[in-house]
Amino acid sequence: MLLATVGIWPAGYALNLALTSFGGAFTGFANFAKTYNQGFLIPAFEHVGEFMLIWLTALIVIVIGLSLVMHTLSRRVSAPFRLLFYIPAAFAGSASVLVWLFMLQPGMSPWDFVLQILGAHTLGDSLASGDLPIVYALIAFWTGAGGWILVIHGALTNIPADVLEAAALDGAGPWQTALRIKLPLIKKWIVYMLIVAFAGGTQLFAEPQLISQASQRLVDPLWSPNTLATYLAFQYDNFNYAAAIAIDLLVLALVCAGLLVFRTGLFKAD
Amino acid sequence: MRPINISLRIDVSITPQTGSPRRLLAWGARRLVLWCVLALAAIFFAVPFVWLLLESTRTGQDSLVGHPLGFGSFHQILLNWQVLFSGFVGQTATWIANSALYSGAGVLIAVVLGIPAGYGLAAFEFIGRRPLLIATIIAMLIPTNALVLPLVLEAHTLKVLSSPLAVILPYGLFPFGVYIAYLYFDTPRIHRLLASARMDGCNEWQAFRAVALPLSTPVIGLVVVLDFIASWTNYFLPWAMYWAFDQTGRYPVTLGIAQQLMAGPTYGGYLLRDLQLHTSAPPSVEALLILVSCAPVIIVLVIAQRWIVSGRTQGVFM
Repeated sequence: MLLATVGIWPAGYALNLALTSFGGAFTGFANFAKTYNQGFLIPAFEHVGEFMLIWLTALIVIVIGLSLVMHTLSRRVSAPFRLLFYIPAAFAGSASVLVWLFMLQPGMSPWDFVLQILGAHTLGDSLASGDLPIVYALIAFWTGAGGWILVIHGALTNIPADVLEAAALDGAGPWQTALRIKLPLIKKWIVYMLIVAFAGGTQLFAEPQLISQASQRLVDPLWSPNTLATYLAFQYDNFNYAAAIAIDLLVLALVCAGLLVFRTGLFKAD
Repeated sequence: MRPINISLRIDVSITPQTGSPRRLLAWGARRLVLWCVLALAAIFFAVPFVWLLLESTRTGQDSLVGHPLGFGSFHQILLNWQVLFSGFVGQTATWIANSALYSGAGVLIAVVLGIPAGYGLAAFEFIGRRPLLIATIIAMLIPTNALVLPLVLEAHTLKVLSSPLAVILPYGLFPFGVYIAYLYFDTPRIHRLLASARMDGCNEWQAFRAVALPLSTPVIGLVVVLDFIASWTNYFLPWAMYWAFDQTGRYPVTLGIAQQLMAGPTYGGYLLRDLQLHTSAPPSVEALLILVSCAPVIIVLVIAQRWIVSGRTQGVFM
């Protein structure tokens, strides 16, 4: 029984944190309204929305596409590819951003010819404000896609062989098998991937913070809700506004978590 | 002994269905496209990594004039290594030690608290068990970044900002460990074993200590691997705790890397389109810094890939 109460600790801890930050915001609900009226928050959410559109589309098209392609190979042949796609995950956090700053620096980048075609002659050209969602999605994709490929490929390999055999006997070609048999069978995992990626995407921080820093703040330091909140907290000492934004984001995350727990049936809680 | 795995999977698209030349041609074309797609993806994912490896063999001069994917010399790695730890790029050794301390201590807490908690949830019926479980699952599904700001605000009021505990305790909060331990212990096999242990006169502590704990090594391994990777690569939390307060001595490697981007021109009227990348050290040394700081995670990823997949499919994300 004593041990069981230890279980309360992690859950209770998280709850406590949410409440303490509420304490900061309790001086009035007005903090929430104010953050909306200041004119920073809406653009920040819009930026993240643009990023998310690219990032989630890339996940759907490229991750699922690559997983389906690899599923037509034997496990042994596709294993080195899966590992290769997954290794960049080790650079999550700040390392991947620094790597990609080098990748986006014309003259130094192995992708120099691509940058030249796109008309980028300086790092600043690569980081023009319209390109930022693409740049962040690129970094997120490089570090994050491999992990999702493992999950989707894993889900595909769990499809019983006789189902695929039956499809082949019924005359389904590889395209039909992929689109009509395999995809519907792994729908649950695709939804799971999208919700989790969405929840993670709202939390974008390292990329906009570091790239703004690397550009001497010429790139908007208030780009995402999290960079905005930290800016308010540390540059203006306005911890109440920061808390209000943190709660906004936490509610979003909670909604996503709730959807996963109560709608997907992937988690066992009995 | 390893079980022998005989795969009888019949793959409909590997072999052409009939031998007619047109079919064969279509099959060949499909294969070609398939391999092209894979090759393109492989290039995208591999090039930055290959660049890091090659760059670390070069001199500052090579990086300026040579081909971006040129090779320098093996000897230069040694020289770059000396620069890396000379204090020129910062307190490299301290950063690595800090990362090891934070993630090590965090993992320890996650195991010591998470395994018994999961066991408690699985072994006992008590009021509030289900809500507790749901809370645990929700806590593990919330992105780690979502708790950073609330944590900073709390640390601010508790005055533990800029102490190592400010990141170690949150790293120790690993609800996935509780959940995976619960899943593992809540199986008929474990329940039967526990029941017979109690029948033989074990008290609850002994049942846990002598029966459940020795069986839980796979779960402990999973928690160690996943929490280690999540903690080592975390950027936002240490940033919020240490960066804003200039606690350079407390930086983990992720912040050390961030610090490389400090140098650069700051004169007025500087335009974005003139911007070039400025780092404290030559790119070759920075590349080596990135490789060295990520090496522990790369090693763990390669060794424990299978575990990581099973973790990801059950709700933990890095």
